Amino acid sequence: MHPATEKLVNELNELPVAVAACDYAQRGYHYEVDVAADQVRALAECMLKHDMYLVFVGGLDVKPVPRVVYQFASYTHPGRFVVRAAVDENNMVPTISDIFQGASWHERETRDFFGIVFADHPYLKPLILAEEDVDLKPLLKTEEALKDISEVSWPAASDVSSKPEAKNKAEQG
Amino acid sequence: METAKEQAAQYTLEPATDIPKSNHYYLNMGPQHPSTHGVLRVLLEMDGEYVIKAQPVLGYGHRMHEKMAEHKNWMAFMPNTGRMDYAAALPFNHGYAALFERLCNIEVPERAEYIRVITSELNRLVSHHLWLGAFLLDLGAFTPILYTFDDREQVLDILEDITGSRLTYCYFRVGGVCKDIDDKFVERTRAYIKRQRERFKVYNELVTGNIIFLKRVEGVGIISPEMARRYGATGPVVRGSGIAYDIRKAEPYSVYDRFDFEIPTGTTGDSLDRYLVRLEEMEQSLRIIEQALEQLPDGPYLGKVPKKLKLPTGDANFAVEAARGELSYYLVSGGGDMPYRLKIRVPSYSNLSLLPELAQGMLIADLVAAMGSLDLVIPEIDR
Amino acid sequence: MPPELLRMIITAVLVVAFVFLNAMILGYMERKISAHIQRRPGLMEVGPHGVLQLIVDGLKLIGKQLVVPEGSSPFLFRLAPLLSFAPCVLPFVVIPFSRKLQAVSMDVGLIYILAMTSINVVAVLVAGWASNNKYSLFGTFRSVAQAVSYEIPMLLSLLAVIMMTSSFSLEGIIEAQKYYWFILIQPVAFIIYFVSGLAETNRAPFDLPEAESELTAGFHTEYSGMGFSFFFLAEYANMFTVCSIATILFLGGWKGIPLPFYDYSGIIWFLLKVYGLLFVMIWARWTYPRVRFDQLMTFCWKYLIPFSMANLLITAIMVKII
Repeated sequence: MHPATEKLVNELNELPVAVAACDYAQRGYHYEVDVAADQVRALAECMLKHDMYLVFVGGLDVKPVPRVVYQFASYTHPGRFVVRAAVDENNMVPTISDIFQGASWHERETRDFFGIVFADHPYLKPLILAEEDVDLKPLLKTEEALKDISEVSWPAASDVSSKPEAKNKAEQG
Repeated sequence: METAKEQAAQYTLEPATDIPKSNHYYLNMGPQHPSTHGVLRVLLEMDGEYVIKAQPVLGYGHRMHEKMAEHKNWMAFMPNTGRMDYAAALPFNHGYAALFERLCNIEVPERAEYIRVITSELNRLVSHHLWLGAFLLDLGAFTPILYTFDDREQVLDILEDITGSRLTYCYFRVGGVCKDIDDKFVERTRAYIKRQRERFKVYNELVTGNIIFLKRVEGVGIISPEMARRYGATGPVVRGSGIAYDIRKAEPYSVYDRFDFEIPTGTTGDSLDRYLVRLEEMEQSLRIIEQALEQLPDGPYLGKVPKKLKLPTGDANFAVEAARGELSYYLVSGGGDMPYRLKIRVPSYSNLSLLPELAQGMLIADLVAAMGSLDLVIPEIDR
Repeated sequence: MPPELLRMIITAVLVVAFVFLNAMILGYMERKISAHIQRRPGLMEVGPHGVLQLIVDGLKLIGKQLVVPEGSSPFLFRLAPLLSFAPCVLPFVVIPFSRKLQAVSMDVGLIYILAMTSINVVAVLVAGWASNNKYSLFGTFRSVAQAVSYEIPMLLSLLAVIMMTSSFSLEGIIEAQKYYWFILIQPVAFIIYFVSGLAETNRAPFDLPEAESELTAGFHTEYSGMGFSFFFLAEYANMFTVCSIATILFLGGWKGIPLPFYDYSGIIWFLLKVYGLLFVMIWARWTYPRVRFDQLMTFCWKYLIPFSMANLLITAIMVKII
């Protein structure tokens, strides 16, 4: 682990967030972070302080509440963080567009596609979609397709035998 | 000039919704403007020739690829990937194929990885040629685009032979590539590399040393490293600002760790630096291709892939260095053979998002130069 | 019919015909030269090597509708192309193509030509203003500022030659170059004049009024069909005028190796010299990028004008001494 990443992880651990190291070869990122909506800004500020840049902000429509997915990486050393923030009861997450200005467009796009509102965003108008499609929210899942967050997450580490690649290998063989 | 800059500084980044000041006016640059390269509209608030505020308006070429990905099985989406960034489609193929290889733990034969690297780098050259011509066209030099298109055509011919298409490639498969390369390809590529090296001299003589060109790009559109980071800019834009960040080195994928190449960087982050970085990158691509052709192993070009790929539940990310910067596919899977959610992070999106801050207080001619140096491909931004 | 009237009619017809012919030759030249600079064949389809292409294009432009944009002033909008075209034709009346090929001989021929070419600015102003288009207006502002600025070094450099010949008459200036061309003793004036001429005719690298990558097409963005063609004709006629002044003042006009019927055949030398200069103009256009507007102004006020002033001063001293 790079010392800079280590420092960042230590600092993140002081916030009320859950940081878990992941297998890069399997997932393509180094850390998975679960965060509550009210901690998003603290987390973003921490990321900014530690020279991370914002890769993207996206949405994820799951039960029980939709998530906002942030990804951070660094220009100088390997260390990719996937942050999932659950929206609060008003379907809102605070904006980080004043911390990472690049987030502004990503947040507007997420508002277009999922209807997730970014509190205090200065200009939450449709970006990709047309003005009249403000309520379209095309990426929201239908009732049948909507899955629980546990159904779209990696199984717990102990559950190795059910890993699908093992099954795939078996099929190949 | 100073007063316009001062005036611009008083504004926040938040786009104007109210009526502009009496001596200001709005100018719609695009969606059918010669130098917005596609269907980008930039709403400009102007004071004379000075840009007070620039607000890009996106979405004219929006096709909702992310939704399509959720409604097709993993294989059927492959052609879509080539239709986002039409100037450099193969890195988009690459990221998508590699994402599933990572998620499902599929082995890729070595030869296939080498073919991927060679074709991706050739595609990078294609894209940079297109940019070079278009950028100089933005500056009012008509001729270079014909020269660069001449060279670009050579690569397209080579790629067409093996991939079957010239622009929107769908050449990579999960587990390899769909067609092997032959000796003729190797031979033609070698000949092309030789030819291209000669051509760089022509470019340098014709363009890089031209006093008008230098006056137009030097000190124009300066992006500081700190500003690049706040906006998440990647690729030549961030390298022009002096940050040696390249996914090919930072998180080596495929077989990029086996080649000896450098990451060119600029010093001031102006349009000239981005120009020089891209020119040098083309040279580095040639070096990579040369080494890859040298090391090209024998073997199968497509690995063993199960007929019906069962995706595991979970998420994975795959980042590749596309021609314009970092391309990230972030996939969330709920099992089955369709992604639950595919987020495509395209490089131009973040690179363009810094335009409002960059454009403040600029002359409109400089805005055109700065936008050209960002190397925007609008369908990629709109997806 | 009085002979003077007949002469006027013949002159008018010939001059207008020549303006059209010149536009066609220059249009063909421009497209062929640009093509060869860009390593492509260029016009090839209509006629041998595409020589008839310009006729076809002309027919197309005549057949096109002149769209008057909403919110514009229709009268001024229609007037502008004519206003641009008419003064461009008039200089041809006094240009001495050869010793005896000159429609009207004027003592102040040079001033007359310069006065006529300056009217073009008004036409551009009207066109840009009447179009009700911000890009057009931009182009107009640029064009007016540029034309007014570059007129100064242009005139100053010409003044140096006039000091030497003490004549505004074009024939007089040509006669004064009996033994040598003035380019040999006034190279600085020639270069300044030619550069200002490029700017005056809105040619690259000073084509800011129509800079298509910034302003789509500048002052003639909204014009189609014959409206556009008139601006096009005017531009080429202006280029010809600028180059013929350069030829007359610096390159000895129609003087060259004597040919049979020299009183008339001098036109061959004259046209060769003019089209040679035009070739350089076209060459520059397809080679250089465009300068920025502030750079254009800086170049004029900080370099061209001081240099032409100095040149004028030196010429004045030399004329006094010699």
